[in-house]
Amino acid sequence: MKHVETEARPAGQAPPEAPHVDVTLNVNGTLHRLRLDARVTLLDALRDHLGLTGAKKGCDQGACGACTVMVDGRRVVSCLALAAQYEGREITTVESLSVDGELHPMQAAFARHDAFQCGYCTPGQIMSAVCLIAEGRANSEEDIREFMSGNICRCGAYPNIRAAIREVTGEG
Amino acid sequence: MTTLETGRTVGAGLDRVDAPLKVTGDAQYPNDYSYPGMAHAALVRSTIAAGRIRSIDVTQALAAPGVLTVITHLTAPKLERGPMTLLGGSPPAPLQDDRILHYGQHIAIVVAETAEQARHAARLVRAEYEAAEAMLDLNDPRAQIVENPWGLDTERGDVDAGFAQADVVVEGTFTTPDNTNNPLGLMATIAFWHGDSLTVHDSTQWPHNVRTSLATIFKIPESGIRVLAPFVGGGFGAGLRVWPHVILTVLAAREVNRPVKLVLTRPEMFTSVGHRPNSVQQIKVGATRGGDLVAIEHHGISSVAMEDDDYEPVSFCSAVSYACPNVLTRDRQARLNIPCPGSMRAPAEGQGNFALESAIDEVAHAVGMDPLEIRLRNYAEQHPFLNLPWSSKALRECYLQGAERFGWSRRTPEPGSMRDGRWLVGYGLAGVSYPFYQVPCQARASVRRDGSAYVRSAATDIGTGTYTVMTQLAAELLGLDITRVRFDLGDSDMPYAPQAGGSGLTGALGNAVHAACRRLVREFLDVVRDDAASPLRRAALDEVTVTDGRIHRVGDPGQGESYVDILARHSLEELSADGRSTPPQAEELGMALSGAFGAKFVEVRIDPELGLLRVARVVSAIDGGRILNEKTATSQIIGGTVGGISQALFEETATDEVTGRIANATFGDYLMPVNADVPDMEVLFVGGPDRATAVGTKGVGEVGLVGIAAAIGNAVYHATGRRLRSLPITIDQLML
Repeated sequence: MKHVETEARPAGQAPPEAPHVDVTLNVNGTLHRLRLDARVTLLDALRDHLGLTGAKKGCDQGACGACTVMVDGRRVVSCLALAAQYEGREITTVESLSVDGELHPMQAAFARHDAFQCGYCTPGQIMSAVCLIAEGRANSEEDIREFMSGNICRCGAYPNIRAAIREVTGEG
Repeated sequence: MTTLETGRTVGAGLDRVDAPLKVTGDAQYPNDYSYPGMAHAALVRSTIAAGRIRSIDVTQALAAPGVLTVITHLTAPKLERGPMTLLGGSPPAPLQDDRILHYGQHIAIVVAETAEQARHAARLVRAEYEAAEAMLDLNDPRAQIVENPWGLDTERGDVDAGFAQADVVVEGTFTTPDNTNNPLGLMATIAFWHGDSLTVHDSTQWPHNVRTSLATIFKIPESGIRVLAPFVGGGFGAGLRVWPHVILTVLAAREVNRPVKLVLTRPEMFTSVGHRPNSVQQIKVGATRGGDLVAIEHHGISSVAMEDDDYEPVSFCSAVSYACPNVLTRDRQARLNIPCPGSMRAPAEGQGNFALESAIDEVAHAVGMDPLEIRLRNYAEQHPFLNLPWSSKALRECYLQGAERFGWSRRTPEPGSMRDGRWLVGYGLAGVSYPFYQVPCQARASVRRDGSAYVRSAATDIGTGTYTVMTQLAAELLGLDITRVRFDLGDSDMPYAPQAGGSGLTGALGNAVHAACRRLVREFLDVVRDDAASPLRRAALDEVTVTDGRIHRVGDPGQGESYVDILARHSLEELSADGRSTPPQAEELGMALSGAFGAKFVEVRIDPELGLLRVARVVSAIDGGRILNEKTATSQIIGGTVGGISQALFEETATDEVTGRIANATFGDYLMPVNADVPDMEVLFVGGPDRATAVGTKGVGEVGLVGIAAAIGNAVYHATGRRLRSLPITIDQLML
């Protein structure tokens, strides 16, 4: 496992009143030591402090699923998680799915089935879909429809998202 | 005009060229960018809908940790209002006085080192108001009424005489609520100044409009402004205008002399970037016993903001949809203390079609005619008031092929006559005649020494597939493999492009790319005009064709040579050409310019005891002219249909009738379809290339939405015998 030291915010800029916390996040198999404003969410830590902008902010209220990441094998809406609470957890983001330019089967299926339009919800949909299979919840059309309903696609690609997931489960 | 020939690349259902970026999370949306020294902004919004700010205290906010500045109407500089655009006037400039015109109006912007600090400090700004009684109701007698706001009211024949001849007259009042665009991407702006020049990332559907508007507002030359939007997290119209928050971010960046980023919150998305305004429509349709339409009268009123423009001619669809001799359409707007409305996917058409196509269904039932038959019987073979032939119209084929695919003939006419166990089954249909829209556009095409092509225009791809279809089109026109063509957009330094809106971009941009590519081939011919070594010497453009990276004489592939050879022999690094498109003119062509047409067939299932409604099946048959990519065009129709289901059954922005506050401004409260709400659906494309332009597309971004609400309403009537005239259709309306 790699260890990466991430530069903390310069001390002069740290507001005296806002408590800061030291936290080590394990993201995609890499440990990152961060000093964060205690209010920073896991989503903002990933996006603003680690430069992992794949997870998206669609509502910041846990209602759209665009920020879905995997934590210890389960789906988490990272906008409702405080980064400080995620030390020692195994966090996986969309950036880890493709290896050496080779798309993950779910990513390839999303591309083939045109399972997105603007693409903004897509990283969250894909993380949710990958987890769905890992959770054993993609066994029927009804299950896929139900358990993918936490991820809003405002462009309305739902039928194509289901087709992509069906293709992957069929192969698996 | 040289019409595009069909080839290998255009039309094919290729995967999106930007798919790898989107599925890996590498596509960069405006709020994904970050700059060294970037500060973060947060907005303060008014908590009343009308009145004045009596006082605003920023002391605590300024003293909060990390805060760099707080700008209010007391400290903001005078800003020009943005210019008139293709879409009407610009929204009012922010922070220009103490007046409050709507709930959620921006009254301050706070800038701090971090987003957390900015949000915290924004909550410390204290405003006191002198509230006035807000006008919030479309029927408020005090509201100023704007008559015929767009000059689109129509009248033909004599409707009173028409109704006098009618055997059957149906009449109804239809209401549609406020809907909020809610693209999933929170709209974001990043601005930074370098001296008098300015760079802006923005969630816009129209980079050039942002550039032109900021030049006017800040009194700086357009040439110093660069607007970037290579990826946008949807828009559905919300990104068409330069909204006050964009201006405030640019102002804040100038104030603190650093890059500033503002990301709207979801509640702010309900009051800051437009919405589909509510409407009340009275429609009256007269027909003979035999089902001939003899009169249509359609009046619509929509809400609009106090000091802004919005384009919603809801009744206009009744003027162009049927061959009816006597038609009157009238539109009005009522000025209210509401956040600025704006275009939302299929503006006006989405509301107006619901009334018209529901009323036609009522007439069909009243005269005992099949709803499909009455539409074919009153088919507008030519444009009903221009009296010109259409540049293309395959609506009849839409009806017939859609009906065949759907199994319309299985429908039994009597309401409530089809059942499946506890479910009442209803079949409904609606037709769509979407208006033509196209405005001027430019593009630039280059072929380089290595034989690859680079084509670009300052358009946007908000999920529509623009990157992909323009790559395909350029590959076809230059005779290159698609992997050898790169199409770029989303940068105001590129040639001018209009907005991604009005279902007009693909036509405008496609024809500009067509012109640029054709001109580029001519540039190559010019280079070899007197070249004794070239088999293309003295060849004219219409004597050659392009394949496999080569230009050759038509019918003689041996008589030609490659781009690479020409460039190498003449020691050129590349050749480039500019192309532009202008909208076709009906008078010149002797044709009425056609938008897309469609026929929508819906099956609903209703549990009469619980009031449950399920959309079981949808078939959409679409005449979209030439389809450049069947896969992405199908996605456009599917997505539009989901928008239509949403309009019919889910969406309603609720405004508190006393305070003007949006009462459901979160994704937890504002209902939209999730995966389980949406059935699999079928899309058929019928018809062929439109005759009015070289490329022959008609735009499919909005036609997918229109007609779905009426088809669902008509299916509900067929299932239950209940005619519902108010959207959204909710469970309480269905309890039998």
